[in-house]
Amino acid sequence: MTGTAVRRTLLYAALLVGALISVAPYLMTLNASFKTTQGMFSTQAWTPAHPATFSNFASLWSQYDMSGFMVHTLIVSVAITVGQVLFCSLSAYAFARMEFPGRDLLFWAFVATMMVPQIVTLVPLFLIMSHFQLTDTYRALILPYVFGTPYGIFLVRQYFRTIPPDLEAAARIDGAGTWTILWRIILPLSRPILATLATVTFVNSWNNLLWPLMATSSERTTVITVGISALQGQYASQLNIVLTAAAVALLPLIAVFLVFQRHIVRSIALTGLK
Amino acid sequence: MLKLTTRRFAATAACAALVGLTAACGGSGSAKAGGTVTLTYMIWQDSEKAAYQASINEFEKAHPSIKVNLELVAWAQYWSKLQTGAASRNMPDVFWDHLAYLPQLAKEGIVTDLTSKIKAANLDTGVYSPKLLAQWQSGTVTYGLPKDWDTIATIYNKSMLAKAGLTADQMNHLSWDPATGGSFVAALQKLTVDANGKHPNQPGFDAKHVKTYGIALEAPNGQQDWWDFGLQNGCKLQDKAYGKWTVNTPACVQAIQFEQDLRDKWHVAAPGSETNTPNAASLPQILAKGDAATTFDGDWDLTSFESAMPAGSWGVSALPSGPAGTGTVFNGLSDAVYAHTKHPAEAWELEQWLASPASEKLVADSGTVWPGIPTLNDGFAAAWKAKGVDVTAFRTGSEGTTMGYPLTTSNTTFNTIVLQDFNQVWLGQMTPQAAADDVNSKSNAAITSDN
Amino acid sequence: MEAYLLIGPSLAGFLLFLVVPIIGVFALSLFSWDLVGTPQFVGLANYRRLAGDGAAWTAVGNTVYYVALNIPAQTVLALLLALALNRKMRGGKVFRVLFVLPWMAMPVALGIIWTWAFDPRHGAVNHLLSLVGIAGPNWLTSTTWAMPVIASVNVWQYTGYTMLFLLAGLQAIPEQIYEAAAVDGVSAVQRFFKITLPLLRPSMFFVLITNVIGSFQLFDTVFVMTQGGPGTSTTTLNYYIYQQAFQLFHAGYAATLAIVLFAMILLVTAGQFLYFRKRTVYDFS
Repeated sequence: MTGTAVRRTLLYAALLVGALISVAPYLMTLNASFKTTQGMFSTQAWTPAHPATFSNFASLWSQYDMSGFMVHTLIVSVAITVGQVLFCSLSAYAFARMEFPGRDLLFWAFVATMMVPQIVTLVPLFLIMSHFQLTDTYRALILPYVFGTPYGIFLVRQYFRTIPPDLEAAARIDGAGTWTILWRIILPLSRPILATLATVTFVNSWNNLLWPLMATSSERTTVITVGISALQGQYASQLNIVLTAAAVALLPLIAVFLVFQRHIVRSIALTGLK
Repeated sequence: MLKLTTRRFAATAACAALVGLTAACGGSGSAKAGGTVTLTYMIWQDSEKAAYQASINEFEKAHPSIKVNLELVAWAQYWSKLQTGAASRNMPDVFWDHLAYLPQLAKEGIVTDLTSKIKAANLDTGVYSPKLLAQWQSGTVTYGLPKDWDTIATIYNKSMLAKAGLTADQMNHLSWDPATGGSFVAALQKLTVDANGKHPNQPGFDAKHVKTYGIALEAPNGQQDWWDFGLQNGCKLQDKAYGKWTVNTPACVQAIQFEQDLRDKWHVAAPGSETNTPNAASLPQILAKGDAATTFDGDWDLTSFESAMPAGSWGVSALPSGPAGTGTVFNGLSDAVYAHTKHPAEAWELEQWLASPASEKLVADSGTVWPGIPTLNDGFAAAWKAKGVDVTAFRTGSEGTTMGYPLTTSNTTFNTIVLQDFNQVWLGQMTPQAAADDVNSKSNAAITSDN
Repeated sequence: MEAYLLIGPSLAGFLLFLVVPIIGVFALSLFSWDLVGTPQFVGLANYRRLAGDGAAWTAVGNTVYYVALNIPAQTVLALLLALALNRKMRGGKVFRVLFVLPWMAMPVALGIIWTWAFDPRHGAVNHLLSLVGIAGPNWLTSTTWAMPVIASVNVWQYTGYTMLFLLAGLQAIPEQIYEAAAVDGVSAVQRFFKITLPLLRPSMFFVLITNVIGSFQLFDTVFVMTQGGPGTSTTTLNYYIYQQAFQLFHAGYAATLAIVLFAMILLVTAGQFLYFRKRTVYDFS
């Protein structure tokens, strides 16, 4: 073999190992969700579940309100995602294209709050919610994030700035107003970044633990993160069931990701730089 | 991939936002609709949910105008949820109460004093175990009616016992002393086996490769390990109820030292690295995996042993006795009524039912939990007998020398410091005296600062 | 004022759910309060308490330790992957997707999975180690190993994502620069340190700023895997704040600690800003 061929083989080998490490925890978890409690102790994580049992899923659904948790999380995540995409786009457009007093100051104020850790606002936010008697409702989970986040506004604004202003100028000459320009020109051109924002937001909402842990208390509003962390204590002796729950929590996101992966990979290339 | 047109996108967005902001939420707390009152009843033990649901079904049949939502919140989140619930006035109407948290809840004025209601309803409180009832009373105030009780006993793996040549009867009469270890350590030595089949008291025993330990001891605050050893050694955790902590007295430190010795000197107990909470496997899991032959655990875990281990493979025996005699922690729960409930009358009806002989019998007979009314104990024992497990040891324990939970407002501080320090004691990184001193001074400081 | 109409909703949310709570947390830090009773004004007592609270400084140390474990490992690995993938190659796109897959995993679920994988007797990690003759430790119950294990969750999760940003940065470096260097006979090592790394600074800047801010807020995996233990070995500042606020119900003191965390993040971010400012022209406008 020539030097390049050897190097190429080594490169692929290294990448394959990396890919295996990336995927293995998912596969082993999925595998474990088809094993019995005894099977968990007697077999290795990578030994295929044989015979595969569906009883973990059955007991998860019968003894535990797993579908309820997923529906609650879905409602909250979808509402937040839709709101974020909408309101971030509106603000981002104003910040990117319009002149108004205090624009830069406001924009930097937004961006600066990206540094504020979630836990800083946690207690006051909780007090605000309880003042309006909103604790333990979906609204408490949705409201703090639905109007857009500094990160989202920053992301979209940076993208809007890469769209040539000539396009809008031409439309304005034809008599189009701001809203028309936004709906007809800017947003259609910004699909990749909006898809990215939607994915990032959905993933963050789906995975968020701290705020739901605080803001909700009943089964009626339990989201999947809170449900699973509680499950861990209750089924400590049945790891197969807990891992099944983990698998169930992970899979929807993989689906979302695989659908949007082209947009994400592409738009990260655009936003990471500018 | 976003195939939505912008117009449709906008419409969807607006709708979803509206749904999110207005419609997608239920009413909160208790509600009254069409003359029916809905109460929320919050519990933490998943394994007891079915029995309490059955009891509530009976209650609803007898009270057609009251609906009860049984709400399960895991122990790990339960007390935070109660506190944040109290802060936002979004509380269950009736909820399980634990003595470790009662003083704090009482101080915050969250739990109802039931004295006048008990009197008005002419309830006979004589049916309850006096020891249990007394814990829920303070002066003239009664914060709950005993719902159940629990003690600690030894759970063992039957075949491992047989292999070591030990009988169930011998297990019931073990004793320990700090110097020689006594018959307790001797039995554990027989049960501990290394990778080469050697026992800790044999030459060539390899403490680094132990296949099965004689015992696994695991407790977040000490209830299932050093509190019991302490009681058996004459240690008192507090000078009196609501008094000062006395964890660093010689009797207590000696008991903690004994448990450290079980791990590090005699090598018969699983090391802290395998049993430290919360990271370690649960006790039923450790026994099921065969990593230990015996353990100390409370009766609330019986159903977990049942689901983790093959039927007929495990049994229950008494705790060993120590220099000061036998002893176990004896604890019980009650149902508390939220002080600011919108439906005090209905909540009291529920409280009364849950503490009634009828409901306690229903729950005990299902083998769910020992009842707060001693005359119903047989029902619980019979339920487990039918499953092939003799649970008498828990009951014998409750009738002997016992200690209740320490009553203090500094419980949360105590729990946090104990968890941190004792993790290190069991890893051999801190001496029992240093840990006891630290726990004692910080917990006592919390009593003064929090009051 | 069309512009204000456009930013109106975001601004309202920003003020109500971010600005007001931030002001609130400063106010709260002057009170002693258990969330339920009446708050007591205590002036600067919480700040004085902080000075003498060894546990709080242990938590600060743990947080710094975690960031120090996590950020270099993640960044170096991501850079290596990005360099490997920065070429025309078969399957490059597939690899990219596979590497990013961990990014969206739920930390709560990951905590459960990692706890299982690192189980001392029955976990995959120790079993793999035993195949090559190494007796693995009791990872999560060891005060030495618990934090590195938690850091490894984060490295696993974010390396691929970080790689995407760095890869984008690499691809933005004009080919001509390398060609010119080749003419001058620059070695591969020199090329990396003299050309690639300096030109990668804008991406590096973005990646480091966001990852460091995120790392300071580690909570979920600690909550699920160790609850701050064994001992206090994984009690990060973020987790300590949670403990103070929602387990010990010291809301005022927790607010004080939250301000400390905020200040730490502010300082570190400002430091990074200055460091990169000197060396890069980063177009933020």
